[in-house]
Amino acid sequence: MAAMIRFAGISVNFGDGAGLRDIDLDVPEGALCVLVGTSGAGKSTLMRLVNRLVVPSAGTVTLAGKDIATRDPVELRRGIGYAIQSVGLFPHRTVAENIAIIPALLGWEKRRITERTDALMTMLQLDPALAGRYPHALSGGQAQRVGLARALAADPAVLLMDEPFGAVDPIVRRALRRELAAIHRETGKTILLVTHDAEEALELATLLVVMREGRILAQGSPLELTAMAADPFVRELLGGAGLPLRRLDLLHVRDAVRPGEPEAMAPEIDADASQLDALRLMLEHGATSLVVTEAGSAVGALRFADLDGRGRT
Amino acid sequence: MSRPALLPLGLGLLLALLASGGAASLLWPEARVMDTPRLLSLAGSHARLAVIGAGIGIVLGVALGLLVTRSLGAPWRRPVDSLAAAAQAVPPMVAVALALPGFGFGAAPTVIALVLYGLMPVLRGTIGAVEAVPRAALDAALAIGLTPAQILRQVEWPLVWPLLLPALRSAVTLAMATAAVGALAGAATLGTPIVIGLQMQNEAMLFQGAAATAALAFLADGAMLLAAGFQSRGALPDRR
Repeated sequence: MAAMIRFAGISVNFGDGAGLRDIDLDVPEGALCVLVGTSGAGKSTLMRLVNRLVVPSAGTVTLAGKDIATRDPVELRRGIGYAIQSVGLFPHRTVAENIAIIPALLGWEKRRITERTDALMTMLQLDPALAGRYPHALSGGQAQRVGLARALAADPAVLLMDEPFGAVDPIVRRALRRELAAIHRETGKTILLVTHDAEEALELATLLVVMREGRILAQGSPLELTAMAADPFVRELLGGAGLPLRRLDLLHVRDAVRPGEPEAMAPEIDADASQLDALRLMLEHGATSLVVTEAGSAVGALRFADLDGRGRT
Repeated sequence: MSRPALLPLGLGLLLALLASGGAASLLWPEARVMDTPRLLSLAGSHARLAVIGAGIGIVLGVALGLLVTRSLGAPWRRPVDSLAAAAQAVPPMVAVALALPGFGFGAAPTVIALVLYGLMPVLRGTIGAVEAVPRAALDAALAIGLTPAQILRQVEWPLVWPLLLPALRSAVTLAMATAAVGALAGAATLGTPIVIGLQMQNEAMLFQGAAATAALAFLADGAMLLAAGFQSRGALPDRR
């Protein structure tokens, strides 16, 4: 796949030691690229390069094959969705008006704007009665949803998200995360997301980028980066002692199943479940193997020794 | 009708009644008083000068306030604020006297004094209101592709102007009360009966001018409060 966003030889110099050094990164079209790292690692700076909120001291950023330095920043930004932790809704505009701001600036017809606003509110599970309310009347989770709807309003090919679920409680946060994953699957948008939450990063990323002190330390799929060989800092950041379990959560039972009979009375697990669920089941039942089922009928067995691919070489 | 406006409006009407020729001749039966039609005509030109002075001061103060809160205007912020503070520190009477040689007798020195006097509250009010605009909303506006002009017009101004009303109210009220000094430069204001009263040692006229000036200031204050009341009732009703 072609790179939707390409950072080539990027350095950003803020003059205080912070900034970015020697960044090369290709974000393929349709990827959900998660930038993860400790605070001050340069994640947000890297993201803000894409819509020219930050200007590189060296190197180029290309978007869909075009150097963004040659593009008008205002026009560029209108084509890129942007959602941030502080949301930044306009307090004097209603929810519907906040969502519609970019379509309105782009001169869409009134009817098209209304249809789009309604569709987005449905997609993000916002009560239609909220359309005429002002942001001060929203809960934190609702405000984040409205912010996301505003980012999606003009149907941009690229979405930038900086800790978009940072200001809400863990339960709402998980729900929003699931919705974002669903939106990504449905729309195929290229998403660049900044977070310091490793669990969130591993769950969402198709491309995971670990940053430290202005450099990219590692990039790859969550499975690649959680492999034992990965850099110790990367492993520590992504889960430390809990890393093997997080890794199991990324793997499916289907990939470790082998034909044959499990031990008698073994509990059943669906082939689409995660291997973490399988481990949990084994622990609960004191079993060392499970019956793997697909659409209700047994298709093979999963043994403890096969978890995390250790059974095959 | 908003309650806070009732007091200044009532006081204004009461003082206006006391200032009238009829009331003054009852209070000072021996003295020569200024008749009501003459007083009303002076009040008219007094109010006109005050509104012009306050109006120019407001436009200038708001414009300067918006200017120094742009990123390009930021270096000017301190000097402009110091100048406005200095202008405020000059007593209007001195300002009138200083403007006299350059602008001659009449309305011009009065208006200049009023503009200088009203500038600082409006400027500071504007800067404060701009700074009260949520940072996150401004950041988001820039990031999603609003031009600086659109950010000013669509995000900042709608949030700034409701906060300006208290500053505008004090600017107008101050101008109404201060315009009397114009009489020193020969402008027709409610300071005129005061000047005449002082010259002729006529307490009645002195009182009439003072009471009528205070009446206008109270009435202006009440009117601004009424306007503010309408504004806040219209603000942010949930729509749809």
